[in-house]
Order: sequence, then C-alpha cells, then structure tokens
Amino acid sequence: MIAIIGAGPAGLAAAATAAQRGESVILIDSASQLGGQYWRHLPSNWSDDRSLHYNFDKAQKYFDLILNYPNITRYSNAHVWQAEKIDDKFHLYLIKDGIEEKIVAEKVILATGAYDRSLPFPGWTYPGVMTPGAAQGMLKSHGVLVGKKIVIAGTGPFLLPVAAGLAECGAEIVGLFEANSPLRWTLNLHGLLLNPGKILEAIYYFKKLRKFGIRIQYGKVVEEATRTSVIVDGKVISCDVVAVGWGFVPDLSLAGILGAKLKVDRDGTVLVRVDSNQETSIPGLFAAGESTGIGGSTLALIEGEIAAGAKKTFARWRAQVFAQGLQRVYPVSAKWQNNIQGQTIICRCEEVTQEEIRASIDELGAENGRTAKLFTRAGMGLCQGRVCSRNVSEIVASHTRRKVADSELIAGAGRPMAGPISLGELGDGLGKKF
Amino acid sequence: MSRPIQSVEFTFNGEKFFAIPGQSIAAALFQANQHILRKTRMEGEERSIFCGIGICWDCVVTVNGIINQRSCLIEVQDGMVVKS
Repeated sequence: MIAIIGAGPAGLAAAATAAQRGESVILIDSASQLGGQYWRHLPSNWSDDRSLHYNFDKAQKYFDLILNYPNITRYSNAHVWQAEKIDDKFHLYLIKDGIEEKIVAEKVILATGAYDRSLPFPGWTYPGVMTPGAAQGMLKSHGVLVGKKIVIAGTGPFLLPVAAGLAECGAEIVGLFEANSPLRWTLNLHGLLLNPGKILEAIYYFKKLRKFGIRIQYGKVVEEATRTSVIVDGKVISCDVVAVGWGFVPDLSLAGILGAKLKVDRDGTVLVRVDSNQETSIPGLFAAGESTGIGGSTLALIEGEIAAGAKKTFARWRAQVFAQGLQRVYPVSAKWQNNIQGQTIICRCEEVTQEEIRASIDELGAENGRTAKLFTRAGMGLCQGRVCSRNVSEIVASHTRRKVADSELIAGAGRPMAGPISLGELGDGLGKKF
Repeated sequence: MSRPIQSVEFTFNGEKFFAIPGQSIAAALFQANQHILRKTRMEGEERSIFCGIGICWDCVVTVNGIINQRSCLIEVQDGMVVKS
C-alpha cells in the first residue's frame, strides 16, 4: 500500500504512475477536488471554458486516469494532522468529516506543495490586500472576481498568469509591478535553452497581457497600502485589491514530523532532502514537487513519477536547471525591511509589530527568531508561524547585525502537528460536522 | 464561464446571503461584496481573506456555533449560520 499525500501535479503523477505499476494507492487531499493549487478548477456544476488555465488538457488526463483506476482509493476533504513510523510501517492520522481515521502504509509519498511567500509592509493587514494565490484561487475554483481595480506586485513568473486571468474575467489591472529587472533573465539563458516550452508559455502570457493593455513595470514594489489605494515609487494608485507575492514556501510539516532531514536552499527556502529516487532520509518516505525545491508543475510531475518508481533522470535535471535559474532571476532583496515601520504588524495572528519585536531584542535580550517569538508571541497564533516565522527571523537578524542561521530556518519550518485539531475531533466522532 | 442557476442560502452575522453549490463561505461573501469577515481580538482590526488556501487563518469565522473555521475552505451548505 502506497499513501500519497496531496493531489496536485506531483501527487497526481505519483498516483497514476504507481497505479499503472499495479500498486494499491491511497490518494489523500485536503480539498474536495483533484488538482491541488495549480490545477484548481470550478466544480462540475459550472460550464467551465477552461480559459483560465494553461495546458488544462494535461490535468484532465490525470483526473480521468485517477478516477478510473480501481486500485486508487481517494480520500478527499481529508487533513493528515499527525504521522509516525512504527517498525516498517507509516501510520497516518487524518481527519475526515470531523472524525479521525488511521491509515497504515508501507510507503508514503509527500506531495504537499507550497503556498505564497508574504512580506509585511504598512497596511498589509487591510481587507483587500491578499496573496496572488488567493486572488487567482477565488476565480479558478469559485468563479469570484475579488476586485474591480487590482494591483499585482511582488516577484516571479506566477504574477503573469494571475494578472492575465483576472483581466480575462473583467478586472482592471491598474498596475503590475515586478520587483526584479528582466535583464536578470540573462542569468537563466541556459535554463531557457534546455526548456524551450517555457519560452512558449511566457509568450502565451505576454500576448494575453498585451491584449488587455497591461504593461509590466519592473524594479518597483508596493511600499504601502491604504484602504483604497497603494503607494508605489511614491505614487498613489487607487485600487480595491492588491495581490502581493514573493515566490513560494513549501509545506514541510509532515516531513518534519516524520523526522526527514531538511536542508536550506541558496535563497533561504527550507526543503526536504531527497536522493535520486526522491526518497528522504527516512526509508520508505518519499517527497515530490515543491517540498524538494520550488520548481513549478513541470518539475513536480516528473518528480511525482520518479517517486512512484519511474526513471526520468534527464527530464528532472533539465527542469531543475530551469528552476534553479529562476531563483537567480527573481531573488527577494533584503531591502524589503526598508518599507516596514515600527507600527507595521509582522505576525498577523497575534498582532505583533516590528517595534515589539525590536523591543524584545533591546529590552529583553531576544537573540533569534525563537526567543523573540517566546517574548512577543510572534508565530504562536493560529497559522503557527507559516506566514511570519522567516520574516521574524530576518527582522531579528538585521537588528542584531547577524545572518539567520540555517538551523533557525529549519526549526521555523517544523511543526509538532501538521494542522490544528480540536479535542472533539480526537474524541470518537465528536468533531465538527456541517 | 457561465454560472449555474441553482443556489444555496446561508446567513452571515444575521444577514441573508446566497452561494452557488461548491463555493466556499469566503467566496460567496466576496461575490456579494462582503469583504470584511471578522475583527481581530486585540486591536479590533478588520480582516478578510489573505492566503485563500487555508494557510494563514485570517479568514476564520464561527460556523454553526463552531469557532475558528476557515471560511476560505468550508463549502457553504444550505441553512448555514456563519458569524464573525
């Protein structure tokens, strides 16, 4: 029995490959539909023209395969909150419909994906400020346009499909700001040459942006948000939504809980360490997709297949070269802290400001993210530091004129539970049911 | 993209709202221009959706009496009672 956690590109590819090899597969996902974040789509009661997707045929092919294989059991709306390895078997504890269940598997493939990286700036807690993933997700899986006049900012290629999709559905994109210079693409020419499909994808989005009259403005960031506008380069731009994203953060909760060795990528992103078969330091535990290196759906699909036993070493290498090049094209500058002010909230959950974090250093002797967290509660709220922990570490490091230690970044990615759970849910079926 | 006609009904802070089956609570409220989902417990600041995928917990509401439910993840069911 193979348990695959996550039904995005990596998980779908792993499930299809394993099933084709005659394995019995359990595919667990917290959403009701297959596809993960990348292939979010409208429920079947909508007539969807798929115009919001690039290459959705591929997704449909996987959906059909997975729904038709008798040896794949699907667990949708299921959250794995805890896991352990006992002897040679993995015990996964999940909550489905308010009731806890245990699944035992000989092999586990983690395909838990990633979420938008956010950086604080004055006004980023106002309603209307959100991640590009939120703006796009509302459209792709719920058919809802989050605003009429939208600013998109941050860094990375993901900003392009978000802008194009929102414009296509009727939003006015009043600004598309990419923090990095396009000249940085010279740092990834080899990645482009090895992956010509990526050039076609970029052309597809540039054409769409041109069709809607959207011009990318480079080297600019959102400095501040008010309730009705943003400030970019000192200029006020009126808008009702601003979507800002700075790349992605992989979800490593389950890898950490199971004791897999983690590592820090060149750009500070914490990843799961895997070998050439996508196996982690824990025998029988595999990882594929964003958790082993942010690389997008192409790389995730290949890694999913390899984790399920396929041999695709060259294809993976080619996609990895491109992904590593992307890091050089779209870095997050340490200057992000220049925009924050004393009163700017850093931890959204516990409402902790920059000056409170600095005071914990100056007055209470905090010397790293962890001690600052103990003094201020930054990172102790409902999200468990998923949004702020790296930002807090970086604020403490710059205030104490140090660099954030790799061990601190790794500690910040670990969580004792993969998701919060009520005592009622742990008790027999006493949990929530709507 | 065409919308299904069928809809379900729910209340948010006592007011009546509609959702297309399959839509999340947050999506249905955004559709009706209701962007403010709650106020924070310390500063009373208004909050809305932020990550939209269940990571940040900014959009939590009380659903049928159960607190701290992520409105971006939970699908609207007919007759749901949602509060800030």
